[in-house]
Amino acid sequence: MKHLIGLFLVCLCLKSEAQELFVMTEPASNMPANSIGIRDMNAFMFEKNGKLNYHNMPELMWGINKNWMVHASAFISNRNTSLVTEGGALYAKYRFFSVDDLHSHFRLAAFGRYSLNNADIHQEELETMGHNTGYELGMVATQLVGKVAVSSTLSYERALNNMPNYEFPSAQSNNAFNYTLSVGKLMYPKVYTSFKQTNVNLMVELLGQRLNGNGKSYLDVVPAIQFIIHSQARIDVAYRQQLYSTMMRTAPNGFMIKLEYLFFNVVK
Amino acid sequence: MKKLSSMPLWILAILLSFNAPLTAQISKAEIVATGLTCSMCSNAINKQLTAMTDVDSVGIDLNTNTFTVYLKKNNTVTPKLFKQRVEKAGFFIGSLVLTMAFDNLKVDNNVAVKKEGYVLIFVETKTKTLTGETKVKVLDKGYITLKEHKKMAKSLSKLPSYAVENEDDYHLKTL
Repeated sequence: MKHLIGLFLVCLCLKSEAQELFVMTEPASNMPANSIGIRDMNAFMFEKNGKLNYHNMPELMWGINKNWMVHASAFISNRNTSLVTEGGALYAKYRFFSVDDLHSHFRLAAFGRYSLNNADIHQEELETMGHNTGYELGMVATQLVGKVAVSSTLSYERALNNMPNYEFPSAQSNNAFNYTLSVGKLMYPKVYTSFKQTNVNLMVELLGQRLNGNGKSYLDVVPAIQFIIHSQARIDVAYRQQLYSTMMRTAPNGFMIKLEYLFFNVVK
Repeated sequence: MKKLSSMPLWILAILLSFNAPLTAQISKAEIVATGLTCSMCSNAINKQLTAMTDVDSVGIDLNTNTFTVYLKKNNTVTPKLFKQRVEKAGFFIGSLVLTMAFDNLKVDNNVAVKKEGYVLIFVETKTKTLTGETKVKVLDKGYITLKEHKKMAKSLSKLPSYAVENEDDYHLKTL
């Protein structure tokens, strides 16, 4: 942990153009109003029994106005048999505070997600993105200092019974607090010449959860490289690694490839 | 209409010229946007500005986040349209310099000039007559950085219209 904190401090002191379009978390900034985005998250997670678990999460995003944006996602996975749709989610984010200066900004947003899932409940970890029916409510703060972006999220997550009749195990904690810290840095280009230049970003994210019912917790680290193409498309490659866990999780580690494309000004 | 079409062209031209310069027209706007970190963000602003019907073209300096917007002739663009567009993209204006065509407009310090639908108030200026293309900087909240606005609010504390923040009153400084 000490090394990690040190790494973040080093990151914070480096002066460079930074990004806040993180792989695992949303920043407090919103997507442009009247735009539609499509996204596809592909996660290849290693199960403890050696099996490779594939999760596909297509997502449709809409910037309603400068303060509100919504996402609709579907969860497809091969965890049990072949690829099946296990559920979906609706997500909304409201940016309620912005202080911008020439080379900095500080923004705050509140968000909520409601998810449905029809898979069996097979782990203590709560995850409304693809595993549990339930909801998540949280706040996110994003700061751009000089040219470095840092973002942090705190949220409450509550799992309900999964569909159609997978009851949430009464011996497990059905609610948790999640906390994240993300740092992003632009590596290329050093000087912009056009929108067509590919941007390369490096990111590190810490993702933690603490189950309120029994105090069990985990902390993961997710290093990522991101390519932004023609200032309109995104390709993220990330690896999620558990740093520690005191709860039962079936497949915490694995690779992720996330694709995104933004259509500007398509909604009038 | 029949009579109008039979009118000599030079009479028509005179009649139109009385209608056209009712507004002090903006021909160019140089916008510096704040709080951006990436070319994807600049592109969001670029797309918002180019989608404006009165915009001819947009020139961009990605390193300084400066957008030079060239407007079509006889446009009806007011500064608040630029503000709305940049904020729709998720960002804010840090500086707005307008190139406006004036036709012998006499200006005086802190004196309002009423235009069609909006009011121009020239500040930090001496009595003079503005003719032809002139560059002016908009000093109102939302068109300068928050720090600059704090300073400006102090220096213009004796000007009641500045503190009112009416979105159709623009406080301008000639450059």
